Amino acid sequence: MNHPNDILGDDAVLSLRGVSKKIGGKKIVDQLSFDVHEGEVVGLLGPNGAGKTTTIRMIAGLIQMSEGDVFVRGSSIRHEWKKAIRHIGAIIENPEFYPYMTGYDNLKQYQRMNEWISNDRIDEVVRLVGLEQAMKKKVKAYSLGMRQRLGIAQALLHQPSVLILDEPTNGLDPAGIREMRDYLKTIAREEGISILVSSHLLLEMEQLCSRVVVIQDGKLVTVRSIGENHAPSNEEKNFVRVMFRVGRLEEAKNVLDSQERAEIVQVAEEQSELLVALRYKDIPDIVAALGAARIPIYQVTEIKQSLEDEFLKWTGGNRIA
Amino acid sequence: MRNFMALVHNEWLKMSKKRSFFIPYAIIAVVAVGLAWALKHWGGEMLGTASDYTIMMAGTTGFGQFTAMLAVIFTAGLVASEHGMGTIKFLLIRGQSRAKILASKYVAALLFALSLIVWLNVVCFAAGAVWFSTDLPSGALRDILITAGSSLVFSIVYMTLGFMMGVLTRSTGAAMGIGMAAIVLSGITIPKNFYKFILFPNANLSVYNHGGQPPLPGMTLPFSIAVLAVYIVLFLGASFVTFKRRDIA
Repeated sequence: MNHPNDILGDDAVLSLRGVSKKIGGKKIVDQLSFDVHEGEVVGLLGPNGAGKTTTIRMIAGLIQMSEGDVFVRGSSIRHEWKKAIRHIGAIIENPEFYPYMTGYDNLKQYQRMNEWISNDRIDEVVRLVGLEQAMKKKVKAYSLGMRQRLGIAQALLHQPSVLILDEPTNGLDPAGIREMRDYLKTIAREEGISILVSSHLLLEMEQLCSRVVVIQDGKLVTVRSIGENHAPSNEEKNFVRVMFRVGRLEEAKNVLDSQERAEIVQVAEEQSELLVALRYKDIPDIVAALGAARIPIYQVTEIKQSLEDEFLKWTGGNRIA
Repeated sequence: MRNFMALVHNEWLKMSKKRSFFIPYAIIAVVAVGLAWALKHWGGEMLGTASDYTIMMAGTTGFGQFTAMLAVIFTAGLVASEHGMGTIKFLLIRGQSRAKILASKYVAALLFALSLIVWLNVVCFAAGAVWFSTDLPSGALRDILITAGSSLVFSIVYMTLGFMMGVLTRSTGAAMGIGMAAIVLSGITIPKNFYKFILFPNANLSVYNHGGQPPLPGMTLPFSIAVLAVYIVLFLGASFVTFKRRDIA
């Protein structure tokens, strides 16, 4: 992954190759390489201070790279910035507009900067984000959610191949977050655009992305397909973690301890719960063994490891960044 | 080129869509009309013609200096406010080079200064024409153009300084403050030889009109123009180099 001159993957819309940013001898981003493919929604995930925003800004050319390069549809951000940036639409942190101008006037500003954007295209993106009614209003009268939508409109105006979003749900309420997610999914589908979205909100990433790139301290930690986390766990040989809520906790512990095929992972005295690791196929036997000992069973739940658990595992747990 | 004009158009709209845009023009109009009226009623026979009034008002020693301040105030935020509002992020990812964007801002600032000076002269002449004679003595038109020209140069010099400060500090307040302070300081002359290479005594070119005395011995019109050109090139050079290299964090 660390060869800057790698031949680019044929369907990679966006490729980072050994991208580094040094500020005062400290590496904020260190040898980062990953690809975003056609039509893919990729999450850039990491704790605060991991270098997400710096990475996003380097991709857009707002911050100069110290090493490495970014390729957008094969064009280098460093050497052919104009060609490369043409394919990028971005919202970096909160979308900021000229508050004393109307939404329409703001979009007109960006239209004048790329002469191929037609008036019809403005109408089209406005319709896509559902802001038809607000176009004549000044942006200072917009809610944060509306500004986010205008931000998306702005990013789509010049028909980019890849959309780069930095913490797009920051400061939005749950309804706004959901709306944002729906818009992004719609856009990925209707405009056929690849999306790279940075966030520290895991649940968001899980629901939006098909793949996550996890970084910490500026370094690549892992790249995961979200699908893998939802692999069917009902295969007979698979280990699963099952939570038993029982009466008479001590007795239940004794029963499970005597079972070779089950291992108690965790005991929660207050909730009277036992977390047990065992094979899927052994679940009925263990339940039967508890039943035979006449231990009341109130609940049996499989505990799936969430992205959050994995994320904490990857990034070293509860270390405060 | 068409593309560059579109960028200048953008910058002009960013200034003119502000509700405060008419204020400098209104101030100029009110003062120009008010003073003409006052001079007519209390000034006796001090002024004869509209052209006298225009030359008196629009010169760098008169209201021209104040116009330069207005130009500094209203262009100080051109770069700094983009940083302040955060709009710089959208502005710089549109495939237009940073140099072009900064140049379009500077051109818009020049146009603004020019519009103020033209407005100042037009309003002064119109107000003068109402209360004084509209005769144009020979050479009056030339004098009007020279005073207007030196006021424009004066405005541009300090506006460029403010523009640079806006780029360097990213703060509208700092740019405005330093630009204004420089205009105020320009009135002071230190009678030392080195001082003639400083910006301030050179900024007012109107002193050379009608064989007037330069602020310091040894200064001539070409000398002052050369000094101003060097300063403007330095200010713009610093602005462009900084703006092009800056990380937008």
